[in-house]
Amino acid sequence: MRQSVKILLLLAAGAAGLFKKVAAAPSDREINSKDEQKHSKLTLWQAAKVLILAGVAVGVIGFLVLISGLVPIKASSGHWRVTRWFLTFAMHRSVGTYSTPIEAPPLSDPVLVQKGASAYENNCRVCHGSPKLPHPPVAQHMLPRPPYLPHVVSEWDTEELFHIVKHGLKFTGMPAWPSQQRDDEVWAVVAFLLEFPKLDQNSYRGLVGTDAAAEFGEAFDQVLRHCESCHGPQGMGRGFGAAPRLAGQKVDYLYSSLSAYARQQRYSGIMQPVAARLNEEQMQRLAQHYANLPRNLPTETPDAAGAVERGQKIANEGIREQRIPACNSCHRQSGPRNPIYPELSGQYANYIVLQLKLFQREQRGGTSYAHLMRHVAPNLSNDQMQDVANYYESLAPQVASAAR
Amino acid sequence: MRGCVALFTLTILSGCTGVQSALDPAGREAGTIARLFWWMTIGSMIVWLGVIVLLIYSVRTRAESFTRRKARIMIVGGGVVVPVVVLTVLLLYGLAPIPAMLAPAPPGSLKIAVSGEQWWWRVHYLPPGQAPIPSANEIRLPVGEPVEFHLESPDVIHSFWIPPLGGKMDMIPGRKTRLVLTPSRTGVFRGACAEYCGASHALMAFSVVVQQREEFAAWLSHQSQPAESPQELLAIQGAHLFLANGCSACHTIRGTAAAGVVGPDLTHVGSRLSLAAGILPNDPNAFERWIGQTHDLKPEVLMPAFHMLPPEDTRALAAYLEGLK
Repeated sequence: MRQSVKILLLLAAGAAGLFKKVAAAPSDREINSKDEQKHSKLTLWQAAKVLILAGVAVGVIGFLVLISGLVPIKASSGHWRVTRWFLTFAMHRSVGTYSTPIEAPPLSDPVLVQKGASAYENNCRVCHGSPKLPHPPVAQHMLPRPPYLPHVVSEWDTEELFHIVKHGLKFTGMPAWPSQQRDDEVWAVVAFLLEFPKLDQNSYRGLVGTDAAAEFGEAFDQVLRHCESCHGPQGMGRGFGAAPRLAGQKVDYLYSSLSAYARQQRYSGIMQPVAARLNEEQMQRLAQHYANLPRNLPTETPDAAGAVERGQKIANEGIREQRIPACNSCHRQSGPRNPIYPELSGQYANYIVLQLKLFQREQRGGTSYAHLMRHVAPNLSNDQMQDVANYYESLAPQVASAAR
Repeated sequence: MRGCVALFTLTILSGCTGVQSALDPAGREAGTIARLFWWMTIGSMIVWLGVIVLLIYSVRTRAESFTRRKARIMIVGGGVVVPVVVLTVLLLYGLAPIPAMLAPAPPGSLKIAVSGEQWWWRVHYLPPGQAPIPSANEIRLPVGEPVEFHLESPDVIHSFWIPPLGGKMDMIPGRKTRLVLTPSRTGVFRGACAEYCGASHALMAFSVVVQQREEFAAWLSHQSQPAESPQELLAIQGAHLFLANGCSACHTIRGTAAAGVVGPDLTHVGSRLSLAAGILPNDPNAFERWIGQTHDLKPEVLMPAFHMLPPEDTRALAAYLEGLK
């Protein structure tokens, strides 16, 4: 920010100097005799003509060079030092200017760091490397070369990192975030990047999931291990709510959500790329697999100052004055229920709150039933969302095999 | 040209009768208002004719034929005395019926609470000594008895108006307003919201049925009962789907697990004369259209459209709801 102000001042000073010269010119001329005036006018006109001709000539020559194909676009040959300086300078200026209005939310939440780490491992590591593996050799031969991030993170402000991760960089290999609706995911990546320089091989592994950092593969086991790196080995999450618990979820909901991700109808820069690589059969098997896993909750969630009780009231009765229908009309545990409505019992409370907020901001998308929540979520206050989420997290799931 | 005049006249005259005309009164209050309207109209016609006659007279006559005294009588009499007398009489005549119209209904009368909500009517019958009986978008009244309406609104200002029965009364958020109506003949009428209340204001109406006392009592007693269980297979499926898809989040069907309070009570929805606050006929096809194309039929309404339901599910839901007589 300070840098951009400095440069603006310099530019302004330069422009002011130029203006002074131009403004001063006629007053000089007024002193001269009429003949001299005529003479100097001629000289000006001639100079302009020469300039125009020179410009045209340079343009024609440049065009000829262009169509001759002599300009190398080889990544192997690198840039001239001056070109590199110029491009880097332009990038820094643009990122600096466009990130000015951005305001960073608090980023120290371990949920964000863990979610960002998984996203990094899946989407970014292949070019930017990790402490686990050295800088990938293929990426080293890109132009510009994607930097090994722990070395360069400190060069950028938090907001600048957000801008780069969200929008990508033109003329480099850096893509924009696959889902422009999900700023919360971009912030998770930024939260991870801020921690990145402090990580060694072991702490990085711990963050992205130790035994489950499997490469995505064709074989179902490989696919499954990839899912497990975020959703936990038994589909019970990894203790934080960075990714939802899938065990015991409704099979219809799981399948249609995967399919909505793949068709970019549910928004996520993390899940869309994963779902897009699955074929129909894999989606169905995955849905079936997770629906069959038991949702065994490790411990009971403590009731934070009556939150569960308040949440239960909203879930069972709704609030007529706020036009909040009863959540349990669709998400009830027993009784008739459309299997495309997700099971919420035993789900991470912070995951439920995030989904409600995404619905509220119309940033979630989802199955063909997702619009129903747009009539509900905006009517809940933040506290009410938290209460309802705590209630559902505290619910012991019904017998898991019956959850289908 | 002559066609245009005829059409215009017909359009104007069509306001004189029909289910929603204040000029065809079917109630004590509407009768008072209609009489007032006619007397005011006749009065203003007489005044207007008098003025026209005087105008012609003043143009035709010669100023010299007036003495100063005669002229002063004309000016003071025609310009001050006559207007004061005429307007006072009309004003007194106009104000006279107000106390009777504002008076509460005699004790023991039927009370009906109506809440205007974007864009439908929440109705509760409050018979003396009984639990409130919920309904929606339709009002039934016994003929010849004063009925007191308690009016309110949770969202924006609406106005409750049944033209053949009486005047309109605003429904104001945070306030309770009252209106007494005494229907004087049986029949089916139409009420509407008379205060602009948002995108679908024009689609916020209701049917009004005035019945004999016994008929009304039988109807009300039936309305107080829970819904009958469906018998046909399709309707049974519909009852299951109603709960499974969460319709019960907003709608109550007494006698079932559906106990939502956000939207209209549907316990006897199949027995009502119209659907969706007086905009659709009450038949299975209309139910299907309403469930699937909600927002095309009533823009910005709170109910989400269920266009994603398989058509056979929509059909089953329609069969179930239509059967809730």
